[in-house]
Amino acid sequence: MNAGLTRQALRKQPWAFAGPFVTQCLAAALVSGALGANSSMSGARLDPAARQALTDSGIPQMAALFVVLAVYLTALIVGLTMTSSIARQGRDIALVRAVGATPGRVRRAVAAQAAAVAVPATLLGVPLGALLARAWLAGLTGHAVIPPGVTFHPSAAALPAALAITVGTSLVGALVAALRPARVRPATALIETVVVRRRVSLVRTAIGVLLVAGGVVLSVRISNGDPAKADRASFFTMLAMSVGAGFLGPVLLRLTAPLARLLGGTGVLAAENLAVRAKALSGALVPLVLAIAFAMVKVVVHTTSGHVHGRPDRAAEVWTDYSGTAVYVAFAAVAAVNTLVTVLLSRRRELAVTRLVGASRVRALAVIVCEAQIVTLTAVVVGTVVAMVTMVPMLHGMLGTWTPHLPPGQLTLGLAVVVGLVLLGTVAPALVVTRRRPVESLVVDP
Amino acid sequence: MENVVELDGVSRSYGSRRRPINALRGVSLLVPAGVFVAVMGATGSGKSTLLHCAAGLDRPTSGRVRLVGRDVTRMREGALTRLRRDRVGFVFQSYNLLSELTVRQNVLLPRRLGGPRPRPLDEVLAEVGLAGLADRPVGELSGGQRQRVAIARALAGRPAVVFADEPTGALDPATGGQVLRLLRTGVDRAGVTVVMVTHDPTAAAWSDRLILLRDGELVADGPTPDAATIAQRLRAEASEPVVAQ
Repeated sequence: MNAGLTRQALRKQPWAFAGPFVTQCLAAALVSGALGANSSMSGARLDPAARQALTDSGIPQMAALFVVLAVYLTALIVGLTMTSSIARQGRDIALVRAVGATPGRVRRAVAAQAAAVAVPATLLGVPLGALLARAWLAGLTGHAVIPPGVTFHPSAAALPAALAITVGTSLVGALVAALRPARVRPATALIETVVVRRRVSLVRTAIGVLLVAGGVVLSVRISNGDPAKADRASFFTMLAMSVGAGFLGPVLLRLTAPLARLLGGTGVLAAENLAVRAKALSGALVPLVLAIAFAMVKVVVHTTSGHVHGRPDRAAEVWTDYSGTAVYVAFAAVAAVNTLVTVLLSRRRELAVTRLVGASRVRALAVIVCEAQIVTLTAVVVGTVVAMVTMVPMLHGMLGTWTPHLPPGQLTLGLAVVVGLVLLGTVAPALVVTRRRPVESLVVDP
Repeated sequence: MENVVELDGVSRSYGSRRRPINALRGVSLLVPAGVFVAVMGATGSGKSTLLHCAAGLDRPTSGRVRLVGRDVTRMREGALTRLRRDRVGFVFQSYNLLSELTVRQNVLLPRRLGGPRPRPLDEVLAEVGLAGLADRPVGELSGGQRQRVAIARALAGRPAVVFADEPTGALDPATGGQVLRLLRTGVDRAGVTVVMVTHDPTAAAWSDRLILLRDGELVADGPTPDAATIAQRLRAEASEPVVAQ
């Protein structure tokens, strides 16, 4: 029993659970796809030579790795996305704490919310994963990575396994996310005014600088070593620098925000908003930068290698590398979009006030679009820098070249995806929020 | 007579250590059982902080708070929560209720959290004039009805003390009067202690004892006069020069 806090939260702000829902859906798809692919491969009727070729391809191991990936990425990202949904329940949590809910009970209620969302998400994700795995195996046989005898059959274990993983990891993620909010003194959440702290702490900036510097040093050091080891260590270089960029996010956004002023009156409003919200928005920078840098490194290593050798890399290698990258990027995209949506939903009242004092709906949306452009620009620039620092020493070590090569077609596609994600996280919820008359948005409690 | 609320030299400051904001400065106060106390003062005088500290919703920076005979200053969070659940009721100005749940679910909230068995729901709802509305979602009720649900919740578990923070702040005078009459009845019939923060002299006039705060310090404490006298005293208070910090 959690005294209705779960029901209250799910009914009052269903949108706040979109982040955990999509994450769990993705994890369920990954688990069901990987399990299905694995059982299809082990169950396929193959002659000994083909069986050996399948084992040598490394694909069965990769499918197993996907399941492990699903476990830790789900715990991490559900934890992250639940944090924002819990933040929106501040007053309700304060109320139940005041009338007698212990911190432990609040934590359990939050865990129950995550688990309640996990079940429908999994039911949707499992068949989705089967479809994706079918396409994946078809692609692998098509590119002759694995023998043609392998066809996809869904695994019976997919649903129970996916349920166990999504519910289990969500419980862990949500319990961790609820540690602090559950302990907050009720009076803190009941005080009416909430002041946004604009000052960026020196400690935060220092940590950011340290992480970025550490990433650079690591990258230079591994470039002189064994290339295989360098490939594995490069992930940590990227992680350190992306998280560092997140810590530096408020500073970075304040550097790029004035660019919006070039776009006239709307741009000035956007620049001011960005300066106020730099801290909250930089939460979206980490996953965005990580996704951009990761995808860029993976793609550019192959395209540059093809460019240097005068022929494309083996399709098999490219295919397996890209499917792994796609999984990481998908999770990172969910985290980024979720943060952006959360920031926008918390501005519901502010948007209403802007319109009450005279901005048309189009004008209010234009400001949001303008802000989205700046966020995109910042993420792309930072992501590119992180990717360059990570891969230039690596390319030199592996291929003996200092210049990365990226065909314009793939560059454009990548940019389009980033722009699309940021618009999805900002303009789409803004369209929904501003559909109601501004006065109605003001009477609903936050 | 036993004191239900005891504050001994309670201070509470917010913000950084270098530039603290002192919301309360050494307030001492004894509230015996069965008394209706109104706490008044200008905006920022520390009224709500006093209420939060006295009710165990916040912890003082220094000083001691005893609630229904127990020292809550250093009580563990779990024990403090159970004490609030079992012996204390709350009515706030807003955010009083879980909007998506029904009247019944809201009134029985403390019970579902493991609190004492409340008085029969129908009886409680009849007292506050909400008979027959048990299964309505509170989101559909008017402001006055919602505040009566909050009072039903606060009084259903036979608490020793009810803390009310601007309970009539968002209500018109007539509706506000109904809400205050319910609190008054709780004091007179069930011997409940009520500590109410308000800025409205008419609301304060329902109390037995009036406490006045200025800049976090207690400046007056005595029997409650009529509303006109309270209003006059508040005006005099507002024209006093602000003490240099």
